[in-house]
Amino acid sequence: MNPDATTSSQDRTHAGATVAHVHDSPFIRAPEGAHTVFMVTVFAVCGPLLGGIVLFGWRAALVAALAITSCVVTELLYYRVTRIPALLGRSHAVLTGVLLALTLPAFVPWFVPVVAGAFAIIVGKAVFGGVGHFVWQPALVGRLAVAVMFPALLAISDARFQHRLPVLAQNRLLVGDVREGTFGNDIAPWRGRPAPNGKDAFLLTPPAETLRGLTDRQSPAYSALVFRPDEQLDAKPAALLQLPPMENLFYGARPGSLGETGIILLVVACLYLIYRNYLKWELPLAMFLAASVTVAVAPIYLAGPNNTVRTFWLPLLSPEGLGTALTYVSYQLLSGQLVLAMVLVSVEMTSRPVTTGGQVLLGLGCGTLAMLLQLYTTVPIPCLMAVLAMNTLTPTIDRFWRPRVFGTKHFAILRGQ
Amino acid sequence: MFVGGIDLPDEKRPTLARAIEVAARPRRLLVPLAPCAATPAEPAVKPGENVQPGQCIGIARDCAGVDVFAPLGGRVESICTVAVARWGSFAESPAIELADLSDPAGIVPPRRTEAPDEPAGRDFDWQAAGDDELLARLAQGQLTTHRFRPQPLAEFLARARAGKCRWTILNVLDHEPYVSSDHRLLAEFGPEVMEGLAIVARLVGSRNIIVAADHRRTSHYQSCDAPAERFGIARIALPHKYPIGADTILTKVLTRRETPPGQSPLSVGTAMLDAPTCLAVYQWVVRGRRVLGRVVTVAGPHTARPGNFWAPFGTPCAELASLTAGANPCAAGGPEPTLIHGGPMAGTLCDARAVVTPGSGAVLSLEAAHMPLPGPCIRCGWCMDHCPARLNVAMLNDAFELSLVDRAALGGALACVECGVCGYICPARLPLTQRVKQLKRQIVALRRAAAEAPGAEVPPARAGQPAGAHGSHAR
Repeated sequence: MNPDATTSSQDRTHAGATVAHVHDSPFIRAPEGAHTVFMVTVFAVCGPLLGGIVLFGWRAALVAALAITSCVVTELLYYRVTRIPALLGRSHAVLTGVLLALTLPAFVPWFVPVVAGAFAIIVGKAVFGGVGHFVWQPALVGRLAVAVMFPALLAISDARFQHRLPVLAQNRLLVGDVREGTFGNDIAPWRGRPAPNGKDAFLLTPPAETLRGLTDRQSPAYSALVFRPDEQLDAKPAALLQLPPMENLFYGARPGSLGETGIILLVVACLYLIYRNYLKWELPLAMFLAASVTVAVAPIYLAGPNNTVRTFWLPLLSPEGLGTALTYVSYQLLSGQLVLAMVLVSVEMTSRPVTTGGQVLLGLGCGTLAMLLQLYTTVPIPCLMAVLAMNTLTPTIDRFWRPRVFGTKHFAILRGQ
Repeated sequence: MFVGGIDLPDEKRPTLARAIEVAARPRRLLVPLAPCAATPAEPAVKPGENVQPGQCIGIARDCAGVDVFAPLGGRVESICTVAVARWGSFAESPAIELADLSDPAGIVPPRRTEAPDEPAGRDFDWQAAGDDELLARLAQGQLTTHRFRPQPLAEFLARARAGKCRWTILNVLDHEPYVSSDHRLLAEFGPEVMEGLAIVARLVGSRNIIVAADHRRTSHYQSCDAPAERFGIARIALPHKYPIGADTILTKVLTRRETPPGQSPLSVGTAMLDAPTCLAVYQWVVRGRRVLGRVVTVAGPHTARPGNFWAPFGTPCAELASLTAGANPCAAGGPEPTLIHGGPMAGTLCDARAVVTPGSGAVLSLEAAHMPLPGPCIRCGWCMDHCPARLNVAMLNDAFELSLVDRAALGGALACVECGVCGYICPARLPLTQRVKQLKRQIVALRRAAAEAPGAEVPPARAGQPAGAHGSHAR
């Protein structure tokens, strides 16, 4: 027997200190390491990313490549300069880059993803101590930074195209340039409509913008929001008549960021990650339920017939019936970034609570806050902002949500034990 | 069932179907004088003396210890020091070194050949004897339990009788990978083990007697059926989710009672037994023979001839591994195998002086390269999801890194069953099990210090910096 085997060996830990580390049980290890976790997540997230590249053309691929490269290069440079040994760094940097690309629209100039990636890695991750220690989802930190720095570049500011954003026509998928756009019909189905000569994309009103017209009287969509009960068989708020067909939202054929539109791909990626046990279904589900309930019960201002303001339209109690209410709720849920925030962003391991109950709390908070921000404020990325805000509470939730330990009584924290 | 747990690779195939063999004769035996955690026994022999197999060579100093007997005949060489496994670490114990040994086949208990109702060959009719008589006979046997932490059987029985146990459970789950010693013992000595269990259950006074076995192996235990029927023993097949064989977890599964943190299942009225103890009880009570060895699984990827072997107590583990399992196939340039005492999940790195004691179920040689470097915690929460005690291990890891022992106590660290699942699953390869064990030790030490000095200061919130703590900041 080798006597050295019983003594200790020298291991380098992530803190850079060399410590004696006596090998102890267990002597077998599960095959999945942290590197595998991140790379498999990247693999899953590549589905929505490819969907975005198909829907928004080669510019989307450019944005994604720039974001990933920026994240990885920043990570390498940071650790080279500070001389801190970086473990797990690169695979998580790739993941951050992909997530960042999913939150950016395809028509932004080249420096926007670069700046966002640098911010994500340095401000979002590295200064906190890297993976396992940051408070806010790094990709969201980068996205918030560019939303503050370049607000004009993230929405096409041309006066004629105000509040309209591009989406590729069906015959120009993948190869089209998303910046070559023409006016499109907002409420027509996307399928089967080729783009006119020389143009690749339709400029459409984002459905979220139309819906914001319901509550925001400064919105240009507001004037269209009068009730027209005489002309329509079913009396709906007119904004619902300005929205695209629901099928467009499922394909992802609506203006938005790379990853937020392909609902089906996002759900598939989420299911795969749940299957791999990388995320718990409780968190997305809690977030979805909280958002649905919030939208269904939150009162909004509404313009009535003859431009009178009907205050406090309660969707579920509206005189227009349950069908209208459910339509309204579905559009509110599907037209923003809620699904992206729900299935890929809020489930980032480090910035969510560890316990299942804590994750449900986080999900409830995220869903409610996301919908409140979407309904009542004009922040550019309401759902992602909600996730960022709730991430701040994660350490607190982790500290105070204590599941019952085997052999102890229920509600130990209330008993003061 | 229980929350958490995990499906482990079984890895038992090489040893599962092989009959138990007798280990080759070791060069010398180092019989420990303190197999249980107690004062060592007083040596009854002097160096140079010749001893017979089964001769008493050490006399217990107090009731917490047991007399020690020579497993094999031979010559007393000297009195030396060995390492004895207790509670996942090794403790030093004086030992008697025997050389010029007799044939180790003598330790194998004979199979029961007579028909079940035939009294021939029985020294003692335990069913006719009264409790006191039976207890006295057992006390003469100086038996120990063969658990993770061996203790004198008489002491165990006294505690079980005082605790009014309603359940007596025989645990033959062998839930750890590679280990199959209890399985082979029950497959080959089924009727004897059942009768031993019935004897212990009668002394404990419990109505419910249960044999808990792995559902994949029940077809091997058919010889137990008739005796089990006769003694009213329930046979229950359980799934193979990993720490189901841990005492507290098995108690929870079978009785729905949760053991309070830091206590044994006796506190909730369950006496947990193991197959070697039952066999030893049968052999002593009915046949009047002591079993002075135990079945040890010698296996692992570096073992040329894995199997289960009868090894006399005091066989050096390293010698057992090399003698029985043949030459190390990787000796020529391969990675140095690491010897493990116990299973790969809850066992310990084999001390160079470790010997076979009643608590040694397995000696495994695994690959040293399997131990990866730790990284930062990524807060995936898998340790908590799979913890059978539902501990927030990530929080305990933070508490360890920051040396906050009181926070760890608040998090329930004492409920840890030391199954090793958290360390197995951790994708950051953190030594979580080791850290929680260390926290437990510190909590127990602090509480003991507080109890010994009543009215003194409250124990300090920050204990000394743990050895493995390094300045990484956790949230």
